[in-house]
Amino acid sequence: MKHLIGIFSIFVLASCAKLDSNLYNKKAITEYQLDNYSGEQDFKLDANYDIPQNLISVFTLASQADGEGKATDIKALYIGDQSRIAKDTVILYCHGNKWHMDFYWQRAKLLAHVNGKNRYGVMMLDYRGYGMSDGAPTETGMYADVDACMKWLKERGLNDSRLIIYGFSLGSASSTELSANVRTLKPSKLILEAPFASVAVMVQDAARLNMPAEYMTDLKIDNAEEIKKVNQAFLWIHGDNDNFLNYKTHGEVIYKNYKGAYQEKFIVPGADHGEIPVKMGFGAYLEVLGKFVRR
Amino acid sequence: MKKIILYSSILATICVLTQYCAPARFVKPLAKKQQALAASFGGPLINFSGAPIPVPFTTIGYGYGLTDGITCYGNLHTTSLMFRNFQADLGATIKLYEKEKKYGISISPALQIARSFVYNNTLRVWPNLDANAYFHFKERDSYFYTGINTWFELSGFKAHNEPVSQHVLPNLNVGYVFAHPKWSHQFQLGYMGVGIANLPNVAGYIGLAGTGALSVHYSLVRKF
Repeated sequence: MKHLIGIFSIFVLASCAKLDSNLYNKKAITEYQLDNYSGEQDFKLDANYDIPQNLISVFTLASQADGEGKATDIKALYIGDQSRIAKDTVILYCHGNKWHMDFYWQRAKLLAHVNGKNRYGVMMLDYRGYGMSDGAPTETGMYADVDACMKWLKERGLNDSRLIIYGFSLGSASSTELSANVRTLKPSKLILEAPFASVAVMVQDAARLNMPAEYMTDLKIDNAEEIKKVNQAFLWIHGDNDNFLNYKTHGEVIYKNYKGAYQEKFIVPGADHGEIPVKMGFGAYLEVLGKFVRR
Repeated sequence: MKKIILYSSILATICVLTQYCAPARFVKPLAKKQQALAASFGGPLINFSGAPIPVPFTTIGYGYGLTDGITCYGNLHTTSLMFRNFQADLGATIKLYEKEKKYGISISPALQIARSFVYNNTLRVWPNLDANAYFHFKERDSYFYTGINTWFELSGFKAHNEPVSQHVLPNLNVGYVFAHPKWSHQFQLGYMGVGIANLPNVAGYIGLAGTGALSVHYSLVRKF
Protein backbone atom coordinates (compact mmCIF):
# COMPACT_ATOMS: atom_id res chain seq x y z
CA MET A 1 0.00 0.00 0.00
CA LYS A 2 2.90 2.36 0.79
CA HIS A 3 4.19 1.70 -2.68
CA LEU A 4 0.82 2.61 -4.15
CA ILE A 5 0.52 5.84 -2.17
CA GLY A 6 4.01 6.79 -3.26
CA ILE A 7 3.20 6.30 -6.92
CA PHE A 8 -0.03 8.25 -6.67
CA SER A 9 1.76 11.06 -4.86
CA ILE A 10 4.21 11.37 -7.72
CA PHE A 11 1.33 11.70 -10.14
CA VAL A 12 -0.25 14.43 -8.06
CA LEU A 13 3.00 16.32 -7.62
CA ALA A 14 3.72 16.14 -11.32
CA SER A 15 0.97 18.67 -11.87
CA CYS A 16 1.47 22.29 -12.96
CA ALA A 17 1.25 25.48 -10.94
CA LYS A 18 -0.78 28.65 -11.46
CA LEU A 19 -0.31 30.14 -14.89
CA ASP A 20 -0.77 33.90 -14.60
CA SER A 21 2.89 34.79 -14.77
CA ASN A 22 3.31 32.91 -18.02
CA LEU A 23 1.46 35.64 -19.87
CA TYR A 24 4.55 37.77 -19.46
CA ASN A 25 7.50 36.73 -21.58
CA LYS A 26 9.95 39.05 -19.87
CA LYS A 27 13.68 39.05 -20.29
CA ALA A 28 16.11 40.95 -18.10
CA ILE A 29 19.01 42.79 -19.70
CA THR A 30 21.83 44.91 -18.34
CA GLU A 31 21.75 47.68 -20.94
CA TYR A 32 19.60 48.95 -23.77
CA GLN A 33 21.30 48.73 -27.13
CA LEU A 34 18.53 50.12 -29.36
CA ASP A 35 20.08 50.50 -32.84
CA ASN A 36 22.98 48.27 -31.85
CA TYR A 37 20.69 45.49 -30.74
CA SER A 38 21.43 42.46 -32.89
CA GLY A 39 19.02 39.98 -31.36
CA GLU A 40 15.93 38.68 -33.05
CA GLN A 41 13.54 41.38 -34.24
CA ASP A 42 10.42 41.46 -36.36
CA PHE A 43 12.10 43.81 -38.79
CA LYS A 44 14.97 46.25 -39.02
CA LEU A 45 14.59 49.70 -40.53
CA ASP A 46 17.12 51.20 -42.91
CA ALA A 47 19.09 54.38 -42.36
CA ASN A 48 16.25 56.55 -43.63
CA TYR A 49 14.51 55.88 -40.34
CA ASP A 50 17.45 56.77 -38.10
CA ILE A 51 16.68 59.06 -35.21
CA PRO A 52 19.20 61.71 -34.13
CA GLN A 53 20.83 60.66 -30.90
CA ASN A 54 19.90 63.90 -29.18
CA LEU A 55 16.24 62.99 -29.62
CA ILE A 56 16.53 59.66 -27.85
CA SER A 57 16.45 59.41 -24.08
CA VAL A 58 16.18 56.41 -21.81
CA PHE A 59 15.29 57.10 -18.20
CA THR A 60 13.80 55.70 -15.01
CA LEU A 61 10.29 56.27 -13.70
CA ALA A 62 8.78 55.38 -10.35
CA SER A 63 5.62 53.32 -10.74
CA GLN A 64 3.33 52.48 -7.87
CA ALA A 65 0.12 50.51 -8.21
CA ASP A 66 -2.76 50.90 -5.77
CA GLY A 67 -2.07 49.02 -2.59
CA GLU A 68 1.67 48.80 -3.13
CA GLY A 69 3.81 49.99 -0.26
CA LYS A 70 6.57 51.35 -2.41
CA ALA A 71 7.24 52.35 -5.97
CA THR A 72 8.98 50.18 -8.55
CA ASP A 73 11.63 51.64 -10.83
CA ILE A 74 10.79 51.06 -14.46
CA LYS A 75 12.59 52.09 -17.61
CA ALA A 76 11.07 54.17 -20.36
CA LEU A 77 12.34 55.92 -23.45
CA TYR A 78 11.27 59.01 -25.28
CA ILE A 79 11.91 59.79 -28.92
CA GLY A 80 11.65 63.50 -29.59
CA ASP A 81 12.43 66.85 -28.08
CA GLN A 82 11.26 66.72 -24.48
CA SER A 83 11.05 70.48 -24.33
CA ARG A 84 8.25 70.31 -26.93
CA ILE A 85 6.03 67.86 -25.06
CA ALA A 86 3.89 70.79 -23.94
CA LYS A 87 3.10 71.44 -27.61
CA ASP A 88 3.63 68.14 -29.41
CA THR A 89 1.36 65.21 -29.97
CA VAL A 90 2.75 62.10 -28.29
CA ILE A 91 2.17 58.45 -29.14
CA LEU A 92 2.50 56.27 -26.06
CA TYR A 93 3.43 52.81 -27.28
CA CYS A 94 2.55 49.81 -25.08
CA HIS A 95 4.55 46.88 -26.36
CA GLY A 96 3.72 43.20 -26.51
CA ASN A 97 4.56 40.43 -24.09
CA LYS A 98 8.03 39.74 -25.38
CA TRP A 99 11.37 40.57 -23.81
CA HIS A 100 12.13 44.29 -23.68
CA MET A 101 12.29 47.63 -25.47
CA ASP A 102 15.27 46.64 -27.60
CA PHE A 103 13.02 44.19 -29.39
CA TYR A 104 10.43 46.90 -30.03
CA TRP A 105 12.89 49.69 -30.79
CA GLN A 106 12.35 49.43 -34.53
CA ARG A 107 8.62 49.75 -34.04
CA ALA A 108 9.05 52.82 -31.87
CA LYS A 109 11.33 54.35 -34.48
CA LEU A 110 8.74 53.66 -37.13
CA LEU A 111 6.10 55.43 -35.06
CA ALA A 112 8.45 58.40 -34.83
CA HIS A 113 7.88 58.77 -38.57
CA VAL A 114 4.10 59.08 -38.51
CA ASN A 115 3.28 62.18 -40.58
CA GLY A 116 6.99 62.88 -40.96
CA LYS A 117 10.21 62.28 -39.07
CA ASN A 118 9.88 63.29 -35.42
CA ARG A 119 6.65 65.09 -36.12
CA TYR A 120 5.26 63.52 -32.94
CA GLY A 121 6.92 62.36 -29.78
CA VAL A 122 6.95 58.62 -29.07
CA MET A 123 7.17 57.14 -25.62
CA MET A 124 7.71 53.48 -24.82
CA LEU A 125 8.28 51.63 -21.58
CA ASP A 126 9.35 48.29 -20.27
CA TYR A 127 6.72 47.00 -17.89
CA ARG A 128 8.03 45.97 -14.51
CA GLY A 129 10.11 42.84 -14.82
CA TYR A 130 10.86 43.50 -18.48
CA GLY A 131 14.24 44.60 -19.77
CA MET A 132 15.90 46.76 -17.14
CA SER A 133 12.72 47.52 -15.23
CA ASP A 134 12.66 46.29 -11.65
CA GLY A 135 10.01 44.10 -10.11
CA ALA A 136 7.82 41.37 -11.49
CA PRO A 137 5.01 41.84 -13.98
CA THR A 138 1.43 41.89 -12.78
CA GLU A 139 -1.76 43.07 -14.38
CA THR A 140 -2.24 46.00 -11.98
CA GLY A 141 1.47 46.76 -12.10
CA MET A 142 1.38 46.93 -15.89
CA TYR A 143 -1.42 49.49 -15.80
CA ALA A 144 0.43 51.49 -13.13
CA ASP A 145 3.56 51.45 -15.27
CA VAL A 146 1.77 52.91 -18.27
CA ASP A 147 0.11 55.45 -16.02
CA ALA A 148 3.54 56.40 -14.69
CA CYS A 149 4.43 57.34 -18.26
CA MET A 150 1.31 59.45 -18.48
CA LYS A 151 2.29 61.23 -15.26
CA TRP A 152 5.72 61.92 -16.68
CA LEU A 153 4.19 63.32 -19.85
CA LYS A 154 1.64 65.39 -17.97
CA GLU A 155 4.36 66.90 -15.80
CA ARG A 156 5.96 68.11 -19.03
CA GLY A 157 2.81 69.70 -20.26
CA LEU A 158 1.03 67.06 -22.29
CA ASN A 159 -2.75 67.23 -22.21
CA ASP A 160 -5.48 64.73 -23.08
CA SER A 161 -6.06 65.96 -26.59
CA ARG A 162 -2.46 65.42 -27.68
CA LEU A 163 -2.00 61.95 -26.23
CA ILE A 164 -2.52 58.92 -28.46
CA ILE A 165 -2.15 55.49 -26.97
CA TYR A 166 -1.07 52.53 -29.08
CA GLY A 167 -1.24 48.96 -27.83
CA PHE A 168 0.28 45.99 -29.58
CA SER A 169 -0.82 42.49 -28.53
CA LEU A 170 -0.37 42.37 -24.72
CA GLY A 171 -0.10 46.17 -24.82
CA SER A 172 -3.73 46.27 -25.90
CA ALA A 173 -4.64 45.52 -22.27
CA SER A 174 -3.11 48.63 -20.73
CA SER A 175 -4.07 50.80 -23.72
CA THR A 176 -7.70 49.80 -23.52
CA GLU A 177 -7.82 49.86 -19.72
CA LEU A 178 -6.38 53.36 -19.46
CA SER A 179 -8.57 54.66 -22.26
CA ALA A 180 -11.67 53.21 -20.60
CA ASN A 181 -10.82 53.97 -16.99
CA VAL A 182 -8.98 57.24 -17.11
CA ARG A 183 -6.27 57.92 -14.56
CA THR A 184 -3.72 60.67 -15.18
CA LEU A 185 -4.56 61.50 -18.79
CA LYS A 186 -7.37 60.55 -21.10
CA PRO A 187 -5.88 59.55 -24.44
CA SER A 188 -7.64 61.23 -27.32
CA LYS A 189 -7.22 58.26 -29.63
CA LEU A 190 -6.76 54.54 -29.18
CA ILE A 191 -4.88 52.33 -31.62
CA LEU A 192 -4.86 48.57 -31.13
CA GLU A 193 -2.65 46.35 -33.24
CA ALA A 194 -3.37 42.60 -33.05
CA PRO A 195 -5.17 42.93 -29.73
CA PHE A 196 -6.60 40.11 -27.68
CA ALA A 197 -10.24 40.24 -26.64
CA SER A 198 -9.86 38.78 -23.18
CA VAL A 199 -8.22 36.08 -21.18
CA ALA A 200 -11.47 34.15 -21.54
CA VAL A 201 -11.19 34.09 -25.32
CA MET A 202 -7.58 32.94 -25.09
CA VAL A 203 -8.65 30.08 -22.87
CA GLN A 204 -11.64 29.15 -24.97
CA ASP A 205 -9.80 29.34 -28.27
CA ALA A 206 -7.26 26.92 -26.86
CA ALA A 207 -9.77 24.62 -25.22
CA ARG A 208 -12.46 24.77 -27.91
CA LEU A 209 -14.87 24.58 -25.00
CA ASN A 210 -16.92 27.18 -23.16
CA MET A 211 -14.44 27.04 -20.31
CA PRO A 212 -14.21 29.82 -17.73
CA ALA A 213 -10.85 31.58 -17.77
CA GLU A 214 -10.92 31.39 -13.98
CA TYR A 215 -10.01 27.72 -14.21
CA MET A 216 -6.51 28.73 -15.19
CA THR A 217 -5.86 32.29 -14.27
CA ASP A 218 -6.69 35.14 -11.92
CA LEU A 219 -6.01 37.66 -14.67
CA LYS A 220 -8.96 39.94 -15.38
CA ILE A 221 -7.89 41.38 -18.70
CA ASP A 222 -11.05 41.93 -20.70
CA ASN A 223 -10.53 44.36 -23.55
CA ALA A 224 -13.77 43.31 -25.19
CA GLU A 225 -15.71 44.62 -22.18
CA GLU A 226 -13.53 47.63 -21.41
CA ILE A 227 -13.79 48.89 -24.98
CA LYS A 228 -17.49 49.52 -24.35
CA LYS A 229 -16.47 52.42 -22.09
CA VAL A 230 -14.14 53.97 -24.65
CA ASN A 231 -15.51 57.04 -26.42
CA GLN A 232 -12.29 58.13 -28.03
CA ALA A 233 -11.62 57.48 -31.70
CA PHE A 234 -10.46 53.92 -32.19
CA LEU A 235 -8.33 52.27 -34.86
CA TRP A 236 -8.02 48.52 -35.02
CA ILE A 237 -5.30 46.89 -37.13
CA HIS A 238 -5.04 43.12 -37.38
CA GLY A 239 -3.58 40.56 -39.76
CA ASP A 240 -6.05 38.11 -41.23
CA ASN A 241 -3.42 35.39 -40.91
CA ASP A 242 -2.71 36.00 -37.23
CA ASN A 243 -1.98 32.50 -36.02
CA PHE A 244 -1.62 33.59 -32.42
CA LEU A 245 -4.56 35.89 -31.77
CA ASN A 246 -7.34 35.07 -34.17
CA TYR A 247 -8.52 38.34 -35.68
CA LYS A 248 -12.11 37.10 -35.65
CA THR A 249 -12.34 35.79 -32.10
CA HIS A 250 -10.16 38.54 -30.62
CA GLY A 251 -9.89 41.78 -32.60
CA GLU A 252 -13.27 41.63 -34.25
CA VAL A 253 -15.04 41.17 -30.92
CA ILE A 254 -13.36 44.30 -29.56
CA TYR A 255 -14.22 46.22 -32.69
CA LYS A 256 -17.83 45.05 -32.53
CA ASN A 257 -18.16 46.03 -28.88
CA TYR A 258 -16.86 49.57 -29.37
CA LYS A 259 -19.71 52.04 -28.81
CA GLY A 260 -17.84 55.30 -29.25
CA ALA A 261 -18.05 58.04 -31.83
CA TYR A 262 -15.54 56.88 -34.44
CA GLN A 263 -13.95 53.59 -35.31
CA GLU A 264 -11.84 52.43 -38.15
CA LYS A 265 -10.33 49.07 -38.98
CA PHE A 266 -7.56 47.91 -41.20
CA ILE A 267 -7.28 44.18 -41.83
CA VAL A 268 -3.95 43.27 -43.34
CA PRO A 269 -4.10 40.39 -45.82
CA GLY A 270 -1.67 37.60 -45.07
CA ALA A 271 -0.17 39.21 -41.98
CA ASP A 272 0.64 37.02 -39.01
CA HIS A 273 1.04 38.32 -35.47
CA GLY A 274 3.86 40.85 -35.51
CA GLU A 275 4.03 41.07 -39.29
CA ILE A 276 1.69 43.98 -39.86
CA PRO A 277 4.22 46.77 -40.61
CA VAL A 278 6.19 44.47 -42.89
CA LYS A 279 3.21 43.03 -44.75
CA MET A 280 1.60 46.42 -45.18
CA GLY A 281 4.86 48.06 -46.13
CA PHE A 282 6.24 50.74 -43.84
CA GLY A 283 4.91 53.54 -46.03
CA ALA A 284 1.38 52.19 -46.11
CA TYR A 285 1.48 51.47 -42.39
CA LEU A 286 2.57 55.01 -41.61
CA GLU A 287 -0.06 56.40 -43.95
CA VAL A 288 -2.88 54.56 -42.17
CA LEU A 289 -1.62 55.74 -38.79
CA GLY A 290 -0.95 59.24 -40.03
CA LYS A 291 -4.42 59.64 -41.44
CA PHE A 292 -5.99 58.39 -38.22
CA VAL A 293 -3.86 60.66 -36.05
CA ARG A 294 -4.67 63.71 -38.19
CA ARG A 295 -8.41 63.24 -38.22
CA MET B 1 7.40 36.89 -33.48
CA LYS B 2 4.61 34.38 -33.51
CA LYS B 3 6.96 31.66 -32.46
CA ILE B 4 8.32 33.70 -29.61
CA ILE B 5 4.96 34.73 -28.31
CA LEU B 6 3.84 31.16 -28.59
CA TYR B 7 6.86 30.13 -26.58
CA SER B 8 6.10 32.61 -23.86
CA SER B 9 2.43 31.94 -23.59
CA ILE B 10 2.46 28.27 -24.18
CA LEU B 11 2.34 27.25 -20.55
CA ALA B 12 -0.37 29.74 -19.91
CA THR B 13 -2.63 27.95 -22.30
CA ILE B 14 -1.62 24.40 -22.91
CA CYS B 15 -3.02 23.21 -19.67
CA VAL B 16 -6.34 24.58 -20.79
CA LEU B 17 -6.54 22.01 -23.50
CA THR B 18 -5.66 19.30 -21.08
CA GLN B 19 -8.98 19.97 -19.45
CA TYR B 20 -10.62 18.18 -22.30
CA CYS B 21 -7.86 15.69 -22.64
CA ALA B 22 -9.39 12.42 -21.63
CA PRO B 23 -7.22 10.27 -19.44
CA ALA B 24 -6.86 6.70 -20.48
CA ARG B 25 -9.85 4.91 -19.04
CA PHE B 26 -11.12 1.42 -18.52
CA VAL B 27 -11.43 -0.08 -21.95
CA LYS B 28 -12.46 -3.51 -20.68
CA PRO B 29 -14.80 -3.72 -17.72
CA LEU B 30 -13.45 -5.19 -14.49
CA ALA B 31 -14.75 -8.47 -13.18
CA LYS B 32 -17.81 -8.31 -10.95
CA LYS B 33 -16.96 -6.75 -7.54
CA GLN B 34 -13.39 -6.17 -8.61
CA GLN B 35 -11.94 -2.79 -7.70
CA ALA B 36 -9.13 -0.82 -9.22
CA LEU B 37 -7.17 2.31 -8.51
CA ALA B 38 -5.70 4.10 -11.49
CA ALA B 39 -3.33 6.95 -12.11
CA SER B 40 -2.75 8.47 -15.50
CA PHE B 41 -0.26 10.90 -16.89
CA GLY B 42 0.00 12.64 -20.24
CA GLY B 43 -1.76 14.89 -22.64
CA PRO B 44 -1.48 16.59 -26.01
CA LEU B 45 1.93 17.07 -27.52
CA ILE B 46 3.14 20.60 -27.71
CA ASN B 47 6.18 22.17 -29.17
CA PHE B 48 8.23 23.44 -26.28
CA SER B 49 11.60 25.00 -27.04
CA GLY B 50 11.63 23.07 -30.27
CA ALA B 51 11.02 19.73 -28.62
CA PRO B 52 7.72 17.85 -28.59
CA ILE B 53 6.58 17.18 -25.05
CA PRO B 54 3.29 15.89 -23.68
CA VAL B 55 1.44 18.20 -21.34
CA PRO B 56 1.87 16.79 -17.84
CA PHE B 57 -1.76 16.16 -17.12
CA THR B 58 -2.54 13.82 -14.24
CA THR B 59 -5.56 12.03 -12.86
CA ILE B 60 -6.22 9.48 -10.19
CA GLY B 61 -9.26 7.27 -10.39
CA TYR B 62 -11.24 4.42 -8.99
CA GLY B 63 -13.27 1.74 -10.70
CA TYR B 64 -15.67 -0.89 -9.42
CA GLY B 65 -17.02 -3.87 -11.31
CA LEU B 66 -20.75 -3.64 -10.88
CA THR B 67 -21.22 -6.70 -13.02
CA ASP B 68 -18.88 -8.56 -15.32
CA GLY B 69 -20.08 -6.28 -18.08
CA ILE B 70 -20.34 -2.91 -16.34
CA THR B 71 -17.64 -1.00 -14.46
CA CYS B 72 -18.42 2.28 -12.79
CA TYR B 73 -15.53 4.67 -12.43
CA GLY B 74 -14.55 8.12 -11.35
CA ASN B 75 -11.41 10.12 -12.03
CA LEU B 76 -10.18 13.10 -10.08
CA HIS B 77 -8.16 15.48 -12.21
CA THR B 78 -5.24 16.31 -10.00
CA THR B 79 -3.78 18.87 -12.36
CA SER B 80 -6.98 20.85 -12.03
CA LEU B 81 -6.67 20.74 -8.25
CA MET B 82 -3.35 22.51 -8.58
CA PHE B 83 -5.24 25.28 -10.34
CA ARG B 84 -7.78 25.49 -7.53
CA ASN B 85 -10.44 23.73 -9.56
CA PHE B 86 -12.41 20.64 -8.90
CA GLN B 87 -12.63 18.46 -11.97
CA ALA B 88 -13.82 14.91 -12.09
CA ASP B 89 -15.30 12.54 -14.56
CA LEU B 90 -17.85 9.97 -13.60
CA GLY B 91 -18.92 7.24 -15.92
CA ALA B 92 -19.36 3.59 -16.66
CA THR B 93 -17.62 1.23 -19.03
CA ILE B 94 -20.16 -1.09 -20.59
CA LYS B 95 -19.24 -4.22 -22.48
CA LEU B 96 -21.38 -4.44 -25.58
CA TYR B 97 -19.90 -7.54 -27.10
CA GLU B 98 -17.04 -9.85 -26.32
CA LYS B 99 -15.57 -13.04 -27.61
CA GLU B 100 -13.61 -14.23 -24.58
CA LYS B 101 -9.87 -13.61 -24.88
CA LYS B 102 -10.23 -12.63 -28.52
CA TYR B 103 -11.95 -9.29 -29.04
CA GLY B 104 -14.75 -7.11 -27.79
CA ILE B 105 -16.47 -3.77 -27.99
CA SER B 106 -17.19 -1.39 -25.12
CA ILE B 107 -18.59 2.06 -24.61
CA SER B 108 -18.04 4.49 -21.75
CA PRO B 109 -20.53 7.31 -21.31
CA ALA B 110 -19.27 9.83 -18.76
CA LEU B 111 -19.79 13.31 -17.43
CA GLN B 112 -16.94 15.74 -16.97
CA ILE B 113 -17.70 18.07 -14.09
CA ALA B 114 -15.57 21.11 -13.28
CA ARG B 115 -15.81 24.11 -11.01
CA SER B 116 -13.39 26.64 -9.64
CA PHE B 117 -12.95 26.55 -5.87
CA VAL B 118 -12.49 30.31 -5.91
CA TYR B 119 -14.91 31.79 -8.43
CA ASN B 120 -18.68 31.55 -8.64
CA ASN B 121 -20.60 30.73 -11.79
CA THR B 122 -17.87 28.46 -13.06
CA LEU B 123 -19.61 25.09 -12.92
CA ARG B 124 -19.40 23.30 -16.24
CA VAL B 125 -20.52 19.84 -17.29
CA TRP B 126 -19.46 18.18 -20.50
CA PRO B 127 -20.80 14.80 -21.56
CA ASN B 128 -18.28 12.38 -23.03
CA LEU B 129 -18.66 9.15 -24.89
CA ASP B 130 -15.91 6.59 -25.41
CA ALA B 131 -16.35 3.74 -27.84
CA ASN B 132 -13.57 1.17 -28.08
CA ALA B 133 -12.79 -2.12 -29.76
CA TYR B 134 -10.16 -4.34 -28.17
CA PHE B 135 -8.24 -7.33 -29.39
CA HIS B 136 -6.28 -9.98 -27.52
CA PHE B 137 -3.36 -11.62 -29.26
CA LYS B 138 -2.83 -15.30 -28.78
CA GLU B 139 -5.41 -15.25 -26.00
CA ARG B 140 -3.12 -13.33 -23.68
CA ASP B 141 -4.54 -11.07 -20.99
CA SER B 142 -2.89 -8.04 -22.56
CA TYR B 143 -4.73 -6.40 -25.39
CA PHE B 144 -4.62 -3.75 -28.08
CA TYR B 145 -7.48 -1.30 -28.42
CA THR B 146 -8.63 1.51 -30.63
CA GLY B 147 -11.54 3.86 -30.28
CA ILE B 148 -13.02 7.28 -30.33
CA ASN B 149 -13.56 9.56 -27.38
CA THR B 150 -15.96 12.41 -27.97
CA TRP B 151 -16.64 15.51 -25.91
CA PHE B 152 -19.85 17.44 -26.33
CA GLU B 153 -20.09 21.18 -25.73
CA LEU B 154 -23.70 21.92 -24.92
CA SER B 155 -23.38 25.68 -24.45
CA GLY B 156 -24.72 27.81 -27.25
CA PHE B 157 -22.53 30.79 -26.39
CA LYS B 158 -19.06 31.41 -25.03
CA ALA B 159 -17.24 34.52 -23.81
CA HIS B 160 -18.66 37.87 -24.92
CA ASN B 161 -21.82 36.13 -26.01
CA GLU B 162 -20.17 34.77 -29.11
CA PRO B 163 -21.72 31.61 -30.52
CA VAL B 164 -19.99 28.29 -29.95
CA SER B 165 -19.02 26.91 -33.33
CA GLN B 166 -17.83 23.47 -32.31
CA HIS B 167 -20.19 21.30 -30.29
CA VAL B 168 -18.59 17.91 -30.97
CA LEU B 169 -14.91 17.35 -30.22
CA PRO B 170 -13.76 13.90 -31.33
CA ASN B 171 -10.50 12.28 -30.26
CA LEU B 172 -9.11 9.08 -31.77
CA ASN B 173 -7.15 6.69 -29.59
CA VAL B 174 -5.03 3.59 -30.00
CA GLY B 175 -3.44 1.85 -27.08
CA TYR B 176 -2.05 -1.25 -25.54
CA VAL B 177 -2.70 -2.64 -22.09
CA PHE B 178 -0.06 -4.84 -20.54
CA ALA B 179 -2.28 -6.78 -18.18
CA HIS B 180 -1.00 -8.63 -15.15
CA PRO B 181 -3.09 -10.22 -12.41
CA LYS B 182 -2.72 -7.26 -10.04
CA TRP B 183 -1.25 -4.46 -12.11
CA SER B 184 -1.70 -3.20 -15.60
CA HIS B 185 0.12 -0.63 -17.66
CA GLN B 186 -1.81 1.22 -20.32
CA PHE B 187 -0.11 3.16 -23.10
CA GLN B 188 -2.22 5.28 -25.39
CA LEU B 189 -1.59 7.45 -28.41
CA GLY B 190 -4.27 9.86 -29.47
CA TYR B 191 -5.27 12.39 -32.03
CA MET B 192 -7.32 15.00 -30.23
CA GLY B 193 -9.67 17.41 -31.94
CA VAL B 194 -9.82 15.37 -35.14
CA GLY B 195 -10.12 17.66 -38.13
CA ILE B 196 -10.30 20.83 -36.05
CA ALA B 197 -7.82 23.48 -37.15
CA ASN B 198 -5.20 24.04 -34.44
CA LEU B 199 -4.41 27.54 -35.65
CA PRO B 200 -4.93 30.36 -34.91
CA ASN B 201 -4.22 29.48 -31.32
CA VAL B 202 -1.98 30.51 -28.49
CA ALA B 203 -0.92 26.93 -27.86
CA GLY B 204 1.65 25.21 -30.03
CA TYR B 205 -0.03 21.88 -30.53
CA ILE B 206 1.59 19.22 -32.60
CA GLY B 207 -1.18 17.90 -34.76
CA LEU B 208 -1.73 16.44 -38.18
CA ALA B 209 -1.88 18.68 -41.23
CA GLY B 210 -2.66 21.72 -39.10
CA THR B 211 -5.45 20.05 -37.21
CA GLY B 212 -5.91 18.72 -33.71
CA ALA B 213 -3.16 17.59 -31.38
CA LEU B 214 -1.38 14.30 -31.02
CA SER B 215 -1.40 13.00 -27.48
CA VAL B 216 0.37 10.48 -25.30
CA HIS B 217 -0.96 8.88 -22.12
CA TYR B 218 0.20 6.37 -19.64
CA SER B 219 -1.97 4.79 -16.97
CA LEU B 220 -1.06 2.57 -14.11
CA VAL B 221 -3.85 0.43 -12.70
CA ARG B 222 -3.83 -1.58 -9.50
CA LYS B 223 -6.59 -4.15 -9.18
CA PHE B 224 -7.98 -5.52 -5.94
